[in-house]
Amino acid sequence: MASTLFFGNQVSQLKIDADILRSLPDDDPDATLLKSIGKTFGGNNMGVIILETDNIYQTSVLEHVQALTDTVTNIEGISSVSSLSNIINIKGGDYGIEVGKLVDEYDMPTTSEDFQELRNKILANEMYKGSIVSEDETSTLIIFTLEEDTDVNVVAKQIINKTEALQLPEKLYYIGSPMLVTYISDLMKRDLTKLLPISFLVIALVLFLSFRSISGVLLPLLTAVISIIWSLGMMAFLDYNMSMISNNIPIILLAVGSAYTIHVINRINQVKKIEHSNVVSTAMSYVIIPVILAAVTTIIGFISFIFGAYLEMIVDFGIFTALGTFFACLLSIFFVPVIMDLFKSEKKKVIKQKKQPLLTTKILQPLTTALFKNSKAIFIFWMLLLGISLFGMFSINRSVDIQEYFKKDNPTRLAENIMVEKFGGTKPVFVLFKGDMQNPEVLKKMIQTSEFMKESPDINSAMSVAKLISEMNYAITGSREIPDSQEKIEQLWFLLEGNEVMNRFVNEELNEGIIISKFKSPDNKSKKVFAKKMKDFIRENSTKQCQISITGMPFVDITMDNSLVKSQIGSITIAILFVIIFVGFILRSLRGGIYTSIPIVAAIFILFGVMGLTGISLNIATVLVASVALGIGIDYSIHIYTHFNESFKKTKDLQKAIEESIQISGKAIIINVVSVSAGFMVLIFSEMVPLQYFGILIAISMLSSCLGALTLLPAILILMNRKKQLQ
Amino acid sequence: MNFIKISILLSILFISINIINAQDAASLLHDMDEIIAAPKDKEAAVIMIITDKTGKEKKREASLKQKGKFKKLYRYTGPEKQAGIATLSLPDDAIWLYMPAFGKAVRINLLSKSQAFTGTDFSHEDMSGIPYLERYEPKFINSIHPEHYVIELIPKSKKSKYTKIVLTLNKTVHYPLKMEYFDKTNKHFKTATYAYEKKEGYWYAKEVFMTNLNKKHSTKIILTDVKFDQGINDDEFLVENLKQ
Repeated sequence: MASTLFFGNQVSQLKIDADILRSLPDDDPDATLLKSIGKTFGGNNMGVIILETDNIYQTSVLEHVQALTDTVTNIEGISSVSSLSNIINIKGGDYGIEVGKLVDEYDMPTTSEDFQELRNKILANEMYKGSIVSEDETSTLIIFTLEEDTDVNVVAKQIINKTEALQLPEKLYYIGSPMLVTYISDLMKRDLTKLLPISFLVIALVLFLSFRSISGVLLPLLTAVISIIWSLGMMAFLDYNMSMISNNIPIILLAVGSAYTIHVINRINQVKKIEHSNVVSTAMSYVIIPVILAAVTTIIGFISFIFGAYLEMIVDFGIFTALGTFFACLLSIFFVPVIMDLFKSEKKKVIKQKKQPLLTTKILQPLTTALFKNSKAIFIFWMLLLGISLFGMFSINRSVDIQEYFKKDNPTRLAENIMVEKFGGTKPVFVLFKGDMQNPEVLKKMIQTSEFMKESPDINSAMSVAKLISEMNYAITGSREIPDSQEKIEQLWFLLEGNEVMNRFVNEELNEGIIISKFKSPDNKSKKVFAKKMKDFIRENSTKQCQISITGMPFVDITMDNSLVKSQIGSITIAILFVIIFVGFILRSLRGGIYTSIPIVAAIFILFGVMGLTGISLNIATVLVASVALGIGIDYSIHIYTHFNESFKKTKDLQKAIEESIQISGKAIIINVVSVSAGFMVLIFSEMVPLQYFGILIAISMLSSCLGALTLLPAILILMNRKKQLQ
Repeated sequence: MNFIKISILLSILFISINIINAQDAASLLHDMDEIIAAPKDKEAAVIMIITDKTGKEKKREASLKQKGKFKKLYRYTGPEKQAGIATLSLPDDAIWLYMPAFGKAVRINLLSKSQAFTGTDFSHEDMSGIPYLERYEPKFINSIHPEHYVIELIPKSKKSKYTKIVLTLNKTVHYPLKMEYFDKTNKHFKTATYAYEKKEGYWYAKEVFMTNLNKKHSTKIILTDVKFDQGINDDEFLVENLKQ
């Protein structure tokens, strides 16, 4: 009680953090560089409002851009805003240079001549064309940067509320890291508040239908809820945040955490029919080992994420789900029996066991008969199924695109589409230059790099301080070249000093500067081609005086994509090996370890087969399914195998041992599978697409590992032991 | 009946106080303008200290020559990288920039006066030589404090970045002590504080400290070696003479 109260209080302080960037590992040079650039140049705190209308060249539209710019500027936590209404314009002419704004807020264009002049200015400068105004003239951007250490969620919400309150006739879309993070946090909160109660009710219903008793419903749910509170409380206590992956923990623990108690209650009920004294302790002596085994194997499944997972949030998810599973196991063997013993008299009143035999007579008994009659056929059927799955496995797609988190009609996804179609995408690419930022050679190298980048079909524009200096030089001398003398550059710099845009391009010490660009295609092949081209270029051009390095989301995506397969193979291999070794050690038989893992390996084959054949991609959420399924699904084989082993040793009767394990443990397994799958199927109603697939895929895996444990494993056991008996 | 009479009397009194106050405010502002523009010319060494939100300081040094209200020449002497750069402000908002490395002066046409003055927290509007009374409508607020008046200045031009400036004026000499700037949403976002000193019969701002509350950024301008009425030649303010 005390622990639950303590951790319950901690849960209320648990923070949601949907920022994928913070989850990038520190040992990946691309990710580290991306994070450090974000910190030095503020690039990761940049948000965008897209204003979409029929034609932006209208006075009213410009006034609305102005209103939006003013509104965002005045929000606390915003460090800079850049839009058509305040962007700097430096223009050369006979009279000298004109330093001002592209659009004068006090003298807005009104006539068609004014607008033609504005249009010409925009078309002539890549700082504007396709960067702040779309080439089809229907959209314009209001780009803002948040201050460091500001509460991203609060500021982003104020931006949405205050700009929507303007009730502008144009369509507004919000995108960029701060908006995306806030949006995902909202979806996560909505998911938690909507899905958890549904999942709870669904599991309660399944449990009621299975046990027909109050304790049969309450105890599994209670252990699950307590383990959720303890693990999430521990998460908050240790200062971890809830990520878009660990958002799943409550639902997973609700499903997994209830399983151990289901087995304990089932055994106690079973023993009660035969014995009248020491019911609980007798039942526990049978069930304690399989429950511990089941929990440890599940924990291994979760812990396997620690090895090979690219994103830190996946590692965190593994640790805390494993912890929750451990708590659930502890509660089911120490807390549940005590409660069952305390309330044993009351239980009888509510037991209404009429329907219990139905599962046994209609499913389990015919299944046992079929197993003995057609064990070879069952084995062949499984082999065929695995063959088809193997075929499907080769067509699995991989995806690391965060946009896949949203449903197709989601405003964020629509905004992303506009950004890709009209503004060259949203995936930032940064080229970092270390050297004297006022040295002509360094600036020339920056220009050369920008030009080289733009040769790629996925790069529309590349902005840097070198570009600004070249524009200034053009305004003064008529030449767009970078001046040859450092003195000239230093003096041009004087004009730019104090301009907010400078902080985005160079650091305070002027020994680091960046090229800011965007990558258009979400396709991984294009990213790889670009990455290779750029890395070759950098290798040839980087010098001691001008050290060049490149990073950005396309580079992180490539590593993440490679890591998907690597971590998938890694975590499954580790999990299977550990499971075989652990189960083999506890059962004192390596063969036992191998037998128990056969159904789950088959289930994983089926899982990947289904993913390949249905086109469900392997992403940061679905990559978890195999190990989670392995951890949960192995329990079914463990229960069947240990039960069979025990019974076979005692009776030496193969048929009886199979019958008993299928009819007693099989029943608990079916109840467990139905409740766990139903719990996970609730994820179909999730606001986030990968979680929907996650739910479906886990349910499929549960079903196939249950079928494997109830058909394939017994068929193998029959075939192997029949041979032995014959010999 | 008595009540009506008293009300009318009070209203008349109130209106007249307001009229008097308006006149007072205008004359006080006029006095302030006179103090600012009193010397015929002025020469000084200027130090600008720009502090960013992390507390990092940048120091810039220049020599200043000013004649009348509208002719102002800054020649930068430090940091070394910017030495030799000069800005010349002339009547009618003409600003010329001389960059020695290019060997020529270019005219800068400022489309918006709300832009920052060479990386400081002062805008070109703040640095303008046009008398305040010509640019702002003054409104008397109070004289409660024994040492200063509070006057509200409403910009006459719609192009101003400010909706109002709250001016705190010294009661005896009528020089500014503080100006608080309010943005379009009527939020106080900038404060300038002045330290005035008398030299050679003229009151001048020895130090001006401008803080941008939003950006947590500040600029301090310090004047040293101030000399008045040196008879500076008009030629000093010719564009062709910017090249020394």
